[in-house]
Amino acid sequence: MRSGAPVIDRETALAPGRVTGPSARVVNLPLAPSSDPGWLLVEDGFALVREREIESVFAVANGYTGTRASLEEGSRLSQPVTFAAGIYADDPAANLGPALAVLPDWPHLEITVDGDRLSTETGQVLEHRRMLDLRQAVLWREWRQQASSGRITRVRFLRLASLADRHVLLQSVAVTAENYAGRIELVAGLTLPNGRGERGPLIVTRDLATVVGVTPETSVAMATGSVAQPKSEATKSHQVLPTDHVDERWSWEVGLGETVRLDRLVSVYTSRDIADPADSTRSHIAKIQERGVTALAGDHVNAWSRRWDAAGIKIVGDDEAQRALRFAVYHLVSAANPDDEHASIGARSLTGQDYRGHVFWDTEIYTLPFYVLTDPPAARALLMYRYHTLDGARRKAKGHGYQGALYAWESADSGDETTPREVIAPDGSVVSILTGEQEHHISADVAYAVWQYWRTTADNNFMVGAGADILIETARFWASRARMEADGFAHIRAVIGPDEYHETIDDNAYTNVMARWNLNRAADAVAILKREQPTSWKQISVRLALAEDEPVTWQRIAAALVTGFHADTGLFEQFEGYFGLEEVDVIKHRDHATPIDVCLGREQTRQSKAIKQADVVALSALLWDEWPRAIHEANFNYYDLRTAHGSSLSPAHYALVAARLGNVALAQSYMRQAGEIDLANNMGNAAGGVHIAALGGLWQAAVFGVTGLRLREDGIALDPHLLPGWTEMRCSVQWRGCVLRVTLATDPPRIEIEVDGSGELTITIVDGPACLVRSGRRYAVARNGSAWGAWRETVE
Amino acid sequence: MMAPATLLVPLDGSASATDALSVARGLANLKGATVVLIHVGHDALAPDELLGRMGLSAEDVRGLVIDQCTGSPADAIVREAAARHSAFIVMCAPAQPDDPLNAIESILGDVLLKAPCPVVLVPSMQGRQPWALRRLVLPHDGTPTSAEAIAPTADLASRANAELVVLHVATPDAERPTESGTFVAPRYLDQPQHEWPAWSREFLERVRSLCYPAKIEKIRLVLAHGEASAAILEFTRKNASDLIALAWRGSLEAERAQTMRQVIREANCPVIVFRVQS
Repeated sequence: MRSGAPVIDRETALAPGRVTGPSARVVNLPLAPSSDPGWLLVEDGFALVREREIESVFAVANGYTGTRASLEEGSRLSQPVTFAAGIYADDPAANLGPALAVLPDWPHLEITVDGDRLSTETGQVLEHRRMLDLRQAVLWREWRQQASSGRITRVRFLRLASLADRHVLLQSVAVTAENYAGRIELVAGLTLPNGRGERGPLIVTRDLATVVGVTPETSVAMATGSVAQPKSEATKSHQVLPTDHVDERWSWEVGLGETVRLDRLVSVYTSRDIADPADSTRSHIAKIQERGVTALAGDHVNAWSRRWDAAGIKIVGDDEAQRALRFAVYHLVSAANPDDEHASIGARSLTGQDYRGHVFWDTEIYTLPFYVLTDPPAARALLMYRYHTLDGARRKAKGHGYQGALYAWESADSGDETTPREVIAPDGSVVSILTGEQEHHISADVAYAVWQYWRTTADNNFMVGAGADILIETARFWASRARMEADGFAHIRAVIGPDEYHETIDDNAYTNVMARWNLNRAADAVAILKREQPTSWKQISVRLALAEDEPVTWQRIAAALVTGFHADTGLFEQFEGYFGLEEVDVIKHRDHATPIDVCLGREQTRQSKAIKQADVVALSALLWDEWPRAIHEANFNYYDLRTAHGSSLSPAHYALVAARLGNVALAQSYMRQAGEIDLANNMGNAAGGVHIAALGGLWQAAVFGVTGLRLREDGIALDPHLLPGWTEMRCSVQWRGCVLRVTLATDPPRIEIEVDGSGELTITIVDGPACLVRSGRRYAVARNGSAWGAWRETVE
Repeated sequence: MMAPATLLVPLDGSASATDALSVARGLANLKGATVVLIHVGHDALAPDELLGRMGLSAEDVRGLVIDQCTGSPADAIVREAAARHSAFIVMCAPAQPDDPLNAIESILGDVLLKAPCPVVLVPSMQGRQPWALRRLVLPHDGTPTSAEAIAPTADLASRANAELVVLHVATPDAERPTESGTFVAPRYLDQPQHEWPAWSREFLERVRSLCYPAKIEKIRLVLAHGEASAAILEFTRKNASDLIALAWRGSLEAERAQTMRQVIREANCPVIVFRVQS
């Protein structure tokens, strides 16, 4: 999986005809793996210590549920976890706030051959391969195991979380007795993994449905159905101790070389969806069983096909980048659910327990642009989560003595702050955590996302129903947070910016510029809504008790806010006093095994210019059109040398800005770094789940960086900078109902655009020609030397 | 697999060589093995003469096997350890302040390179004091190669019901290991309030899974900073440690095994060296 593009031999990879028994009778799984190896992540063999990384990277999810890719039969290091989005459990033993609840391990399946239970840890593993099929969103596994008795059993699994019907989970297993005749038994059951039942939630199983009581108010129900081929002896036994569950067993007497197959369907509902989730699972399981496994699998593959059509990126000439971007899109699509506006995407999405499912600024700044441009309903649902948690943000602002809405640095289901105050590091030191108290830029980040969504989609219903509330309440927060001082300027003191190495600082450039942007856009929104939606505007202004002069006040404060900009150098000072700090050689530390803040210690790091992640450079990524290119270049060159990239969020933003500046070699280097965060084989960072924001950042680096795409009021602008070796790049984006399929190519240098959907827009090449394009048509423009020619409409 | 029957304690005839005896007895008790004292010299000695030269009384050697052999000391030690299915070779670390492997290069270095079993080196300061295993320190750099030392170390800790301290040293200028499956201090600390507990849990779970079949009741992870050998020595000095378990990749060429050399030279407690396949 980790070293280069996987090579798949279709003749051996899960192919049904490879059974070695003398009279093999083949039973196929309901799907076959994708034939193009470029769509497959492959992990050959079995290395126990890497299990948890693989479980995260190969997880299957659909935005409603997520299941780690644990071995069905388990291992010493397995962490088999299934989550349901937005279902949190309190853990009084931890001081880290609520955590996504762990649900029954539905794929757990034990295979017994003539009384011997198959395990990778006993006997001999003859072959073991896992594949994540990105195109079909299917986890495949093939395993040949020789027991100590000499019996060789071949097992093929597939697993998916349906994107067509998010309440459906599907598992299929085919077991072949390669060199023996005997009894094969499969055992499954909906139990909590690793004995969690003893201290975990209450489980009750009744009338086909297993109900997990996560909290007194929240429950999740699961029901299962199965089909065995050939028909098996099947039994169910209800056990109460140690945890309440139903064991299901299927057994066959098989002949030499014979294969048996079991398909298991699981229906999941939560009390967040429906009043009686148990009842829903019962009726749902009957319905999906009737539809059949093959049809359900087909529906899922078709749903993914549509998402790939809308969101896929094609790279010609760089297989590593292609693989990283497909991996990113796979997990981004898997993380969101357009039908659920009460859940958002946690830092590790639904792929691992780290970060407890808490939602940070990552979602709005790093992942949301992907949804805005490829799946607007999902973007809307994510923003509605912020709307539904607005009261929590209001409570936080009020608690700190401010007005409006200050979003929680770490948010769960209620929107209340869940960031702990301290943590004990592994060296025994107590580390105080100030982000929950001081990292306030998140309010502007949420507002930024609202504006981007609104201007890109023109979804006025969202704006008048929810978005305006967020924009206005966050502007109110900044108006109360900034203080006019004797120097005649407004200051925001005692904050933490994205660079969390420096705490309790004054006038962080990112915070202040984003606050200024928030204040101005809120005033703009008021003006637009007043003008274009007068009736709705009246309701909004009453709902929010907005005084007539508030927008003017916001603009006045915005104009007075210091930004740290030094006109003589073109540099933003990251915060007041930053330029006077000590220089350290950050570059030297970048490839070391230990992060720079651990090497230097917290205090020395604080006294240095070493920064954790894109801070001023993040402004370039988000607000490119606010300043001329020379300003971006000066700041990028200055801060690049001082950025330790101690956050997984950082490399992607640097890649984006480097690409826009035309520094394509550096952009490629940073894109590789971002892509390796989860895919490299010596990091271990992925064990607790994939870094979904880094993956969103990687997508942005390609779409906003390499194509140079910028969102404008009349359409989009492009400023292509293909990376070294890339001969072609294709991506799709949506703008106010139009679907644009953009192709950049080098031979000859050109841009081709196919417009679908509905409506029209203007496509501009930065420093080049513009073109009004309409849906149903194709356009192209070629470059001769350094100048772009004229756009022309083309025929397919 | 044949159960180890013996622990081999090579003696060169000097009284100081017997300082390894109490540690050997303690380890033999844990492994259910018999301590074999083997005198390697040019001439065979009569039993009384042998005990006298080693400064041992009859009481000192009660329950032990005492034998002699001749020839090249290192070759003889290795040959006897193989023939007697020794669980460990237990010998005194050199008292010289120089690099221990250079100082006795023909013996200790050769034994380490050729030994069929782990080698335990006992510092001279141990003397004849009773020794018991209560805290075992396992420095672990997070690589799968060094992880090979986990299971045999855990076996010892389990048998002694000792605390197993897994010590991971974050060294500022060290290059990031490239070995697949390596798990070191996190490169990205997005939010320390989540990353540190998660990293500690993951590190320890990986170690715990590799302890199999031993079950460890008392295990904890310590993250130290600085140069590896200095951090190991500092920890063991400050935290009453009874044994340091080192994974060694089998090379004694110049510039290699610097951590092991330093720890053997300066440790105030015995060091067991597990040779692992790099």
